Amino acid sequence: MTLPYIFGSGPTVYVAPQTVLNFHGLTVTNSELYGWGIIVVILVLFIWAAHKVKLYPGKGFIGFVEEGVTFITNLVEGSFNRPGVGRKYVPYFVTVFFFILFNNWSELLPVIGDAFRHGSAPLLRPFTADLDATFAIGVVTMGLVYYASVKESGGFGIYLRHFFVGSPKNPLYFVIGLLEMFTDLTRVISLSLRLYLNVTIGMIVIDVFAYLGSFAGPVTALPFYLVEIFICMLQAYIFTVLSVMYLAVAVNHAHDHNDLSHDEYLTEDELPETIKAEPGKVGNAGGV
Amino acid sequence: MDPILATLNISIIGKGLMIGGGFIGPGIGIGLIGGNYLQAVGRNPEAAKFLGQALIFVAIVELFGLLAFASIFIVK
Repeated sequence: MTLPYIFGSGPTVYVAPQTVLNFHGLTVTNSELYGWGIIVVILVLFIWAAHKVKLYPGKGFIGFVEEGVTFITNLVEGSFNRPGVGRKYVPYFVTVFFFILFNNWSELLPVIGDAFRHGSAPLLRPFTADLDATFAIGVVTMGLVYYASVKESGGFGIYLRHFFVGSPKNPLYFVIGLLEMFTDLTRVISLSLRLYLNVTIGMIVIDVFAYLGSFAGPVTALPFYLVEIFICMLQAYIFTVLSVMYLAVAVNHAHDHNDLSHDEYLTEDELPETIKAEPGKVGNAGGV
Repeated sequence: MDPILATLNISIIGKGLMIGGGFIGPGIGIGLIGGNYLQAVGRNPEAAKFLGQALIFVAIVELFGLLAFASIFIVK
């Protein structure tokens, strides 16, 4: 599709991936091709980085990986109101964060678009600039979130219970609970659409401003290029933090309903000795 | 055919209206989020650590602007 422009036909922009290979009836699109390439790059870089981890923080790429892993670990573990619950979900969310981050940043390399062509279609396209890809990531993530919420709540009934603020027998709370369940189902679509649109429109904006600048294209596109570096990082962070939040809300609610009795509120008899003795001590000190 | 309709390209006007109208809402929304965040930091400097959570709401609001931008590609 070409964007119309007052002086000419405009830059050629692609909003959907195109087929480049036909392998025994299995079509391979350009986004899949680039996605596999980025997966290989990520595997090589991270296996190399994992062998280089030392006690003291490294520099360069290893330092960046360590910072990212620490950041996501703190994010996941801090979201749950009971310590130790989030630890086992850290590897998945770290993987998702770095996978999306590297695929988003791959839109900034000059190899995409019209650099290499296969017939009428560009050979390479960022993996996250493909709605199928982001939808797949969203389905897998929300599948994990639902599975883990049911498991952590301790049963499907208790999991369903957290949608209802009060008693489900009250008609108002019942309707609100049904609405909450419906909103839950739209999360897959909103997660995947947000990622796809941000990356695709980022590409288009860079294209358009490089075209408008004509011979000074690199200069006019530079500000948007720099903004895109930030946006790509932000979108990877947003995807991770939103899915962690969906998981944490379901798990924390279920625990709120279940076991308030022993963890949160101590009775008078359970108070440690030191706290009980405190008022007497203060009184004595005042007397002296 | 009506001479005005023959010279006007209505689909371009439609695209312009879609982008313009679609970006008003997210523009106001992101402005409100940023302004309220700065106000909160001004009143209570410890609230500065909630920048990440403010950015989440920016991303949620921004989705609707991007939807408007994406819709122009289906207008012929």
